[in-house]
Amino acid sequence: MKFKNFFKDKIITTTLLLFAILAIEIFLIAYPIANFIRIYIPIIIIVLYIIGITIEYLAKKQFYTNLIMTLEELEDKYLITEIVKSPNFIEGKILSNSLQQINKSMIENVNKYKYMLEDYKEYIELWIHEIKMPIATSKMVIENNKNEVTKSIDEELEKIENYIEQALFYARSSTVEKDYYIRKTSLQNIVNESIKKNKNILIAEKISLNIHDIEKEVNTDSKWIVFILNQIIQNSAKYMKSEEPSQIEIYAKQAKENVILYIKDNGIGIKKGEITRVFEKGFTGTNGREANKKSTGIGLYLCKKLCDKLGISIELNSVQNEGTEVRLVFPKGSYVDIT
Amino acid sequence: MQKILIVEDDEKLRNELKIFLEKNGYEVESLETFNNTIEDILNINPDLVLLDINLPNVDGQYVCKEIRKISNMGIIIVTSRDSEIDELLSINYGADHYITKPYNIQILLAKIASLLRRTDLSAETSDKIDAKDFIINTSNSTIEKQGKVIELTKNEYKILKYLVQNREKIVSREEIMDCLWETESFIDDNTLTVNITRLRNKLEELNLKELLETRRGQGYILRK
Repeated sequence: MKFKNFFKDKIITTTLLLFAILAIEIFLIAYPIANFIRIYIPIIIIVLYIIGITIEYLAKKQFYTNLIMTLEELEDKYLITEIVKSPNFIEGKILSNSLQQINKSMIENVNKYKYMLEDYKEYIELWIHEIKMPIATSKMVIENNKNEVTKSIDEELEKIENYIEQALFYARSSTVEKDYYIRKTSLQNIVNESIKKNKNILIAEKISLNIHDIEKEVNTDSKWIVFILNQIIQNSAKYMKSEEPSQIEIYAKQAKENVILYIKDNGIGIKKGEITRVFEKGFTGTNGREANKKSTGIGLYLCKKLCDKLGISIELNSVQNEGTEVRLVFPKGSYVDIT
Repeated sequence: MQKILIVEDDEKLRNELKIFLEKNGYEVESLETFNNTIEDILNINPDLVLLDINLPNVDGQYVCKEIRKISNMGIIIVTSRDSEIDELLSINYGADHYITKPYNIQILLAKIASLLRRTDLSAETSDKIDAKDFIINTSNSTIEKQGKVIELTKNEYKILKYLVQNREKIVSREEIMDCLWETESFIDDNTLTVNITRLRNKLEELNLKELLETRRGQGYILRK
């Protein structure tokens, strides 16, 4: 707050004061008094006035400067009412009170949506657990009545399962609540589980696997990471070249600060300009828009979101017509060892 | 025969699971009511119980904990709850395995078999499979005929075992791969061909070459 601006606000008071001094001086002309007093009166008034507005200016300047500075530094601006103290001048008090009330009502409003979202998420989770029952039963029926027809239905059921899994993790990824459990997990188990889960598509697409050096441990939630791996492996299987033997290579490297898991395929790759966008929600790219691919642009988006929550970084490299490499970087910080 | 008890409140799933497990050579019982779940389970006293978590009247994890206090029977939790915490809790309460629905039926079968082998010490399951023309030693993966012993590699052994289990049926290459992948041997098409050739050569050493027949375009069959 500059003094100039502050003084502009005081222009009426100041003008009136100057008129008052002028009026007093005119009044005093009618009386025979010493010149000294004629000068003394306006000086004393002006000096006292200046002291008065300076004190006011300093108090206000301190409050508003503090307010603006704190606001700039704060990441969550709505916390301002918790930090800045209420001042002892009236406009400041009104402002501070108003802010507090606005904030309170805003937080209530936001909470309403938060609960709604939480509620919805709970419903989705419940629904997902319920829908899994008829799927499990259907699979049992198929197992007891194996033939060409049921085999075909089984394949479709598998697709349904994948979509359901995606919905579950989508619901989990969009809440603030911590929904995962981090503990020491064997990379080998995770990779094996994920491959077994996708064995039908991998065998059907005649993809050979080259898995090596994965006897390592990482700190993470195995359920989440298996889901992430599923998405990556399914993508690899989906975008293979038809003319040469397909291969997926999975291996891990131990670095000083982290363990990196590589999932590498020799598929059709991704166009150069599209690589940076693959983690965007709904981005399907040139590959995804091809017939039969039915890309929704959700899989990798979810992977990124879940990885962010787990503190894993996910990176993707690709050369068109040569293949794609996805890297999952698990931090090995000592703080996670406690869990 | 080993007894498996199914504790599952969905009637249809319960019945289908029963049919499936009976087909695979187990004696199967199931609970129809869930008023005294814990006592019922203890009264039936099976070798293994397949336990759902979401049961009427009682929580499966609690049931698991209570049973474990008294009995040493195998417990496999089968549930649609799939969070890491539920799994950890169940294992802590003494469950031997935790499988989420919808489950892979072969995995379920494999876990049942391995668990029963472990819990049932008295029955001392034989480590030799008599395949009529030859004998498979499961302990050291060898085959023998009239005293002549031949060693098999891990994959050859698994393939032969699967063929013996499905004797006189045509087994497709996909089925064999499926079975191998289930046990974490992620072999590809070429490796399978190599393994089959080697297996055939080893069978030839026992003069059993004609046993393993190739059906072009369909798969393989182990003849009688």
